[in-house]
Amino acid sequence: MSARSRRVERRPAVAVAVTVVFFAWLYLPIAAVVLFSFNSVKSLSTFRGFSTRWYADFVHDADLVTSLVASIGIAAVSAVGALVLGTMLALGLSRIRSRTGRAVGAVTLLPLVTPEIVTGVAALLLFTGVGLKLSLVTVTLAEITFSIAYVTVIVRGRLAAMSTEVEEAARDLGCTPWQALRLVTLPTLVPALLGAGLLVFALVFDDFVLAFFTTGVSPQPLPVRIYSSIRFGVSPAINAVGTVMLVLSALVMVLALIVPRLWGRKSSSLDLITGA
Amino acid sequence: MTALDPTTAQLPAQPKGGTPRSGQHTRLWAALLALPTGWMVAFFLSSMVIVVLLSFGRTQADGQPVFSTRLDNYAQLWDPLYLRLFLRSVSYAVATTAICAVLAYPVAYVVALHGGRRKNLLIAAIVVPFFASYLIRMYAWSALLSDDGLVNSLIVRLHLGGGVQFLNTPYAVIGGLVYGYVVFMILPVYAALERMDTSLIEAGKDLYHGPWRTFWSVTLPATRAGLFGGVLLVFLPALGDFVSAQLLGGPKTFMIGNLIQQQFLEGQNWPLGSAMTVAMMIGLTVIMVGYLRATATRSREAS
Amino acid sequence: MSLLHHTSDDAGLATAAPAVSLRGLTKSFGRDTVVDHLDLDIGKGEFFSLLGPSGCGKTTTLRMIAGFSDPSEGSIMVGGKNVTATPPHRRDVNTVFQSYALFEHLDVRGNVGFGLRRKGIDRRAIGQRVGEALELVQLADRAGSRPAELSGGQRQRVALARALVNRPQVLLLDEPLAALDLKLRRAMQVELKAIQREVDITFLFVTHDQDEALSMSDRIAIMNNGVIEQCGRPEDVYESPTSVFAAGFIGTSNLMPGTYADGSVAVCDGLRIPVPAGHGLGGGEQVSVAVRPEKIWLSELTPDMVRVPGTVVSSSYHGATTQYLVAIAPEVTLTVLEQNLPRMSPEDRWTPGSRVELGWLPEHAVLLR
Repeated sequence: MSARSRRVERRPAVAVAVTVVFFAWLYLPIAAVVLFSFNSVKSLSTFRGFSTRWYADFVHDADLVTSLVASIGIAAVSAVGALVLGTMLALGLSRIRSRTGRAVGAVTLLPLVTPEIVTGVAALLLFTGVGLKLSLVTVTLAEITFSIAYVTVIVRGRLAAMSTEVEEAARDLGCTPWQALRLVTLPTLVPALLGAGLLVFALVFDDFVLAFFTTGVSPQPLPVRIYSSIRFGVSPAINAVGTVMLVLSALVMVLALIVPRLWGRKSSSLDLITGA
Repeated sequence: MTALDPTTAQLPAQPKGGTPRSGQHTRLWAALLALPTGWMVAFFLSSMVIVVLLSFGRTQADGQPVFSTRLDNYAQLWDPLYLRLFLRSVSYAVATTAICAVLAYPVAYVVALHGGRRKNLLIAAIVVPFFASYLIRMYAWSALLSDDGLVNSLIVRLHLGGGVQFLNTPYAVIGGLVYGYVVFMILPVYAALERMDTSLIEAGKDLYHGPWRTFWSVTLPATRAGLFGGVLLVFLPALGDFVSAQLLGGPKTFMIGNLIQQQFLEGQNWPLGSAMTVAMMIGLTVIMVGYLRATATRSREAS
Repeated sequence: MSLLHHTSDDAGLATAAPAVSLRGLTKSFGRDTVVDHLDLDIGKGEFFSLLGPSGCGKTTTLRMIAGFSDPSEGSIMVGGKNVTATPPHRRDVNTVFQSYALFEHLDVRGNVGFGLRRKGIDRRAIGQRVGEALELVQLADRAGSRPAELSGGQRQRVALARALVNRPQVLLLDEPLAALDLKLRRAMQVELKAIQREVDITFLFVTHDQDEALSMSDRIAIMNNGVIEQCGRPEDVYESPTSVFAAGFIGTSNLMPGTYADGSVAVCDGLRIPVPAGHGLGGGEQVSVAVRPEKIWLSELTPDMVRVPGTVVSSSYHGATTQYLVAIAPEVTLTVLEQNLPRMSPEDRWTPGSRVELGWLPEHAVLLR
């Protein structure tokens, strides 16, 4: 081993300690939710024994189940919608270098730097302004609008890494511009698209703020439904719902990180998230 | 030189009416742009315009908001109560950003430089919970920190004291914000550390002796871009947040977000809420422009 | 092998017209003229190189022939057909890209068969032709691999097979060897030339590497600032450069600037260099005399040689050769390349400071305007 690597490998004790505490702090509340969702009594401070009664409560609460299904539906439709629109946007922006193109590009990134409450308030005003009744549809429209930017950023990142010669090669081998897009560019983007779609699914499924402002009375997306029951007091049933939500979104996120890696071997959305 | 073939030399050597290929191509890209651009204009830009317009509006006697051209709502904002709340929000957001930075550096440093082969796994372990429900995680803290929650029952049981009131304090709200947004600081700092040439750190250790001075004079300047990016990504959502204050705080710790939310969903004064939203956006823009200017100058001086 | 010959019915027409002919081809970006009224004919089955420094317009020319870039002026004919306004997918040319531009989502077979599938050729024929093409580039055993699993050299071969399998009128190669390391590059030069002979397709090869151009081409066009400085067989271009640029760009050249008068060039006071006749100069013109380093002798001079005295400034040993810098005038230093022949011992080499007499045959001096 060289002197160089030995030096770097001496671990800074303080930083390591902070990191360990950080991870404990990061997972403590999550672990607590999961643990107490299996508590046999209603207490949130003492664990009295294993039970699945809160899950039974959840499953038999038609309202909660409807909300869960609604949330999954919203997330799926939003993921597809944002994927289609965001990819179109990314493809268009990567090729058009005019001033209008750049302006459009900047505008589409605005939702990323706008506090969510502003987007939510604005969407609420827009929908009521044009007379759309607030419902799961309005939630989905707002979520798509908000998620397009994520897809665009990820796809543009992948496109930037792709040589323009690849598309030229397709045209050289007999493709019209549209065929080049369909037969070469899009298939090359598949790993990035999968990652982006799953990421949007996870984000939308968990999103509370936008849904809160744009949903109607019933059925409500799951996070909104949970929010209203939290305000009426803490209940172990929420722990069960929360656990289901955590597991589901963690699963989707893990997929979002892994699938592109398995597929393309080269890039993953993790790289895109970290910018590495 | 090449001998010219007489049969081909007579061909007209002039441009062929425009540029058909690139024309066809540009049309394809423009067509691709049209739908999403239209969507963003219809659902995002127009909604922002409505917020601005309604901020000059008023509420009718029957509670219906209508457009108008009055400045009443903005005048109403100029109230010590609201100003205090705005300042409180900014100070919470600043504190959150600072704590996130202090927390992000050691964690990102350990993962990036000592993570070894598990580097990606560790980053995933940080990312995954953050993309899992923010609401559930805030709720979990409120359950853990409540007066009869797990933390307090442990304190009592271990005879550390008679129980501590965590909820309804600024600490709980800021803690919630940090918990909610620290990932947006860790990721850019991590990416910057990853890209950094580690031999710089070694050189720094030779030059400055001691890890602290090395950090200040080498690591921090080299990862400045990541830090600046992280500051933006944490500050923006933290300032507009209302969930942390709602679940972990109370009226004494409310932030702008809670105020706006109240106008829209409880107070039913939409024009006033719109004015608050516009004011917040203006405040944010001013802070951001100032911040970007300052960091841009700093980066220029550094390079 | 079916790859070897075109099966087109219009063979008579195809042999009559050049594979590529450019007339007044011009590309301007705003005020910059990158390619300036280019006239060029490339014969069928020719290995033709466009050689020049980066920014000389060679790649732009190639891109216009491929159809990726629209000419500002002029026309492009491929196989006797005017394709100036034809989109790239309907041109009978194929390109080997510098970055290879392989399709990462397809395996090697899928990449090579891509163009044939676009043409709607039936599956069995595609399979056979892809097999032949992979055989040709010696990649038959990697047909199922993804591009990401291949080495640089292998990716390069896939790119070549992918273009060749379509049997285009012209194959355009855009610095295809630039990304390979030196050893692989040398091997590929030989192989590329062999493949070209075998398939008998016109190759238009763009490069900035004079070795590549010299060793592979039937003809070379040296490009500079958007115009062709010189065009000819490698040996003609090398032996008889017609411009200072051409002389300097291909190989090393000793340039001796001076004033022409009475069959010789005055480089400086007391140094007149005789030049071959037949240039039509009257006298008083500013010209340069160019002599290749390996054409200059330091010993065993013969009576018919031009002789110039000089002083060795430095010598460097290169194994097969020794390179000397010899000052013949205060401002003029010549490079001389001497073979290290078996009969020469190390002591035979000149040392700096030695007074020597240089000589070359008059026909080896080229007069450049």
